[in-house]
Amino acid sequence: MFRTMSRLRIGTVAFALVLVACTNDPYPGADRTAKVYYTSFSLAPKSLDPAVAYNVAAHAVTANVHDTLLEYHYLARPYRLIPGLASAIPKPVTLPDGRIQYVFQIRKGLLFHDDAAFALAGKDASGEPKRTREVIAADFAFELMRIADPAVGSPVVRKFAAIAGFLEFRKRLRVLRAGDKSFAKLPAHRQYARAGGVPGLKVDGNYTLRLILTRADPQILYWFALPFTTPVPWEAVQYYDGKGGRPHFQDHPVGTGPYRMSVYDKQFRMVLVKSPNWYGARHPEWKAPAATFPSRAEIARMAPGRIDPVYAGRALPFIARIEFRREKESIPRFNKFLQGYFDRSGIIKESFDQMVQNDALSPKMAKRGIKLEKTVEASIFYVGFNMLDKTVGAAAGERSRKLRQAMSLAIDVKEHLRLFANGRGVAAHAPIPPGLFGYDAKYKNPYRGFDLKRAKALLVAAGYKNGIDPATGKPLRLTFDTGNTQAQAMLRYQYFVNAWRRIGLDVEVKATNYNQFLQKLKVGAYQIYFTGWIADFPDPENFLFLLETSSGRKVSGGSNYSNFTDPEYDALYKRMRALPNGTERRETIRSMLAILERERPWIELYHDEDYTLIQPWLRNARSFGLSYPTLKYLDIVPGQRAQLRTQWNQPVVWPAWILLGLIAAFVLPGIATFFRERQ
Amino acid sequence: MLAFIARRLVFGFATVLGVLLVLFVLFFAVTDPDQVARRAVGERASPETYEAWKRNHGYDKPLLINRTHGAATLARYTDTLLVEHYRRMLSFDFGRSDADDAPIWQRIKEGIGPSLSLTVPLFLLGLVVGIALSLFVAFFRETYIDRSVLVLCMLGMSIASLIYIIGGQYLIGKLLRWFPISGFDPNPAVILRFLAIPVLVGVLAEFGGTVRLYRTVFLEEANRDYVRTARAKGAGEVRVMVAHVLRNALLPILTNVVLAIPFLFIGSILFESFFGIPGLGALTVEAINGNDFSTLRTMVYIGALLFIAGQILTDISYSMADPRVRLGQGVQS
Repeated sequence: MFRTMSRLRIGTVAFALVLVACTNDPYPGADRTAKVYYTSFSLAPKSLDPAVAYNVAAHAVTANVHDTLLEYHYLARPYRLIPGLASAIPKPVTLPDGRIQYVFQIRKGLLFHDDAAFALAGKDASGEPKRTREVIAADFAFELMRIADPAVGSPVVRKFAAIAGFLEFRKRLRVLRAGDKSFAKLPAHRQYARAGGVPGLKVDGNYTLRLILTRADPQILYWFALPFTTPVPWEAVQYYDGKGGRPHFQDHPVGTGPYRMSVYDKQFRMVLVKSPNWYGARHPEWKAPAATFPSRAEIARMAPGRIDPVYAGRALPFIARIEFRREKESIPRFNKFLQGYFDRSGIIKESFDQMVQNDALSPKMAKRGIKLEKTVEASIFYVGFNMLDKTVGAAAGERSRKLRQAMSLAIDVKEHLRLFANGRGVAAHAPIPPGLFGYDAKYKNPYRGFDLKRAKALLVAAGYKNGIDPATGKPLRLTFDTGNTQAQAMLRYQYFVNAWRRIGLDVEVKATNYNQFLQKLKVGAYQIYFTGWIADFPDPENFLFLLETSSGRKVSGGSNYSNFTDPEYDALYKRMRALPNGTERRETIRSMLAILERERPWIELYHDEDYTLIQPWLRNARSFGLSYPTLKYLDIVPGQRAQLRTQWNQPVVWPAWILLGLIAAFVLPGIATFFRERQ
Repeated sequence: MLAFIARRLVFGFATVLGVLLVLFVLFFAVTDPDQVARRAVGERASPETYEAWKRNHGYDKPLLINRTHGAATLARYTDTLLVEHYRRMLSFDFGRSDADDAPIWQRIKEGIGPSLSLTVPLFLLGLVVGIALSLFVAFFRETYIDRSVLVLCMLGMSIASLIYIIGGQYLIGKLLRWFPISGFDPNPAVILRFLAIPVLVGVLAEFGGTVRLYRTVFLEEANRDYVRTARAKGAGEVRVMVAHVLRNALLPILTNVVLAIPFLFIGSILFESFFGIPGLGALTVEAINGNDFSTLRTMVYIGALLFIAGQILTDISYSMADPRVRLGQGVQS
């Protein structure tokens, strides 16, 4: 009996120790004092190749790993470009032959991240294989040529079509590869050299890149603030070929940015760590605009009371490591934010009423020190029609036009926002979002109100009375392709399907994961689709190009997923693109919107309104409104975070003791009786 | 013994061939490759796109007879999807994912660690708790303890696993804050935290059935003559239960255990999905959701292989646990 009691005591002590050791902290203890920013991802990006990656999930990584010639001022609104890897923002110069030239002067002494690929560049002074090398103008030209390369599959080829000889270079590469197999086996940089390069990309020495355009293209500078135009070392493209245990280049970015990738596990974790090679870290004395926090005067002028002036003029970045943890489900992800294990979060629908009351942060959350940031994003979410489709597309003429108009009128976007986004979002009447030139709050698209009566009348005019397809005698059957299979998203898609069912149409949702959806878009295999667009840069061109012919998915693999083509729209687009902001540009935009209003390649739904919750220990957080990296400006106060996390996550152990007591009270008398009887 | 093992292996191989035939029918004949290609690249892709996709994913051959080859040639029957399917599966050349082109072997290698880190502790702890609790209730048979545990077991068996999972996450993760609600990190410093809730919940969800089964086995043994003899010779109750009853009850327990071991490698579909553990179970669910037939086919095949391996192992282990069993000759009484 004594032995039994001793065992019980040992068991109780062990149980107590286990309870003491309990913690819901998902991170190692060593990270408690480290400046680590925690964020999440639900599906790993398909490609991290900067010439290819073109969605928010991929940019969250690539834009922190790759630096660009130009960047945006963190606080300035309207958005303002500042020099990045370039020492100044180039001005357009008209050459005697009428062409336009931009000259980028590249900073000297820039280095790529350390990487094994640089062994291909030879040995360093100590005879060891090189681990890095200086960034030179040819690396920028190489990446621009990669964008032109049909084998790379960049979605933004057309954006650089104004560069002299850019598209011809693309064609030349295609011809050379088809005709000469030995050419096709050469490393990419050798192929480009053999193909004669792009005449409009001139590399003068190591630090000067000249861009010669055949026509005025003021928006092209914005593209030099996006990861597409980052310098890429030829060594990395050649070395990471997926052979011999090496990953593909698309899974192993080698850049020049403030962070380098240290872990890339698509299933659960991506980690970026501060790069010691970044020019901001090696040369803080340069006080480079994109490597230094805005000045005290700028903070006072642009974000008074929102940014602590103590950061003014300090060298970037502040955070040592960025951890992307995979969280497939939104509810556990949000719970972890509430427990303090993610530093920033959107608000899930299920918890919206607890978080936000009277359009402000709830008192409970405010008491915890959490901040709410609201921004209407420079974005548009829409349902698109594939205009190449024989039923809903242009080939069916007036009939399909009326069908699209009817489907547009059948969707009540305000109801949709109320049901699925707690009312967050601005109903869209045109592609251009609020805050951008060309947005007109008073403009009402006659086909974007909710009007079932008119919708049904349009269907009759289209020859689909009550939605019946005369060819089959059954409701017209259409397919709706989407890129999200989660339950919440499926409900949202079903809303559209139900809306169209009310006018008699039979629409079937074909949901796949996002990467498969992109694949469908790539091959043009869709009829109706749902997607969104977040601005690359703050200009109406970045929305209106989404419906311009040369950006068509079919013709160029571009972002005009609707494959919409209209000569009048294209002509107006070309004009609008070259015009400065002013009355003439505004009128041109109005004419373009009138075409979209009538043709309905899209059903414009809403401009997303972003409600972001920010933990009290996260400093300098500001919603940017563009798909643009701002992590280097953020700071964490680890002490405050550790203290609040401890406070918020004290394990509740008394139920365990009660349970143990109940079990003991239940079992011990039985045991005692049993032994007594046995004796 | 060797002859028996050889015979079992031959039977096992024949079963594998049968499984492959079923897989072929399910994944190639019922779900024809055109349909798979359509799901992958979209309903309205051009014929050229379908063909290119099928070629890249090894779906471009005819099912049974390749009429592009001459009537008298062997290639007419070997250059087909059926033969290609057998060749690839038997040589463990699983190819690439239909969804994202990633090598399937690579995915399996990445997923097996997280899966084992969940299933092994779940299995071992479940086994230890199950045996210990069964012995305990068998020891106190016909008392209120025995009856109460049986009621709890019935109650436990009546509740769906999903309720345990959601309840466990809410209670232990959110309200009590003992362990992380979900997620995974192979870092040895933190891995146990992530596994705590799934393992606890898993043991709780399983214990009803396990305890009822093992209790019956122990009670059956406890009533045998040799146990009475041991007691008559003065052996203590604990010694009787552990040294005699447990040892002799191992045979049915082993059957249960050895059959379960191979399945540890393919993870837990439900637990991995809900707890965000990137193992093979989660891979299977993703394959189902993403119309990734090549990955799904591979996972089913691996599951079948492991099941057959488990059966053979069970047969072999019988002889070790019970000397009365003579392999290939049945049980001698």
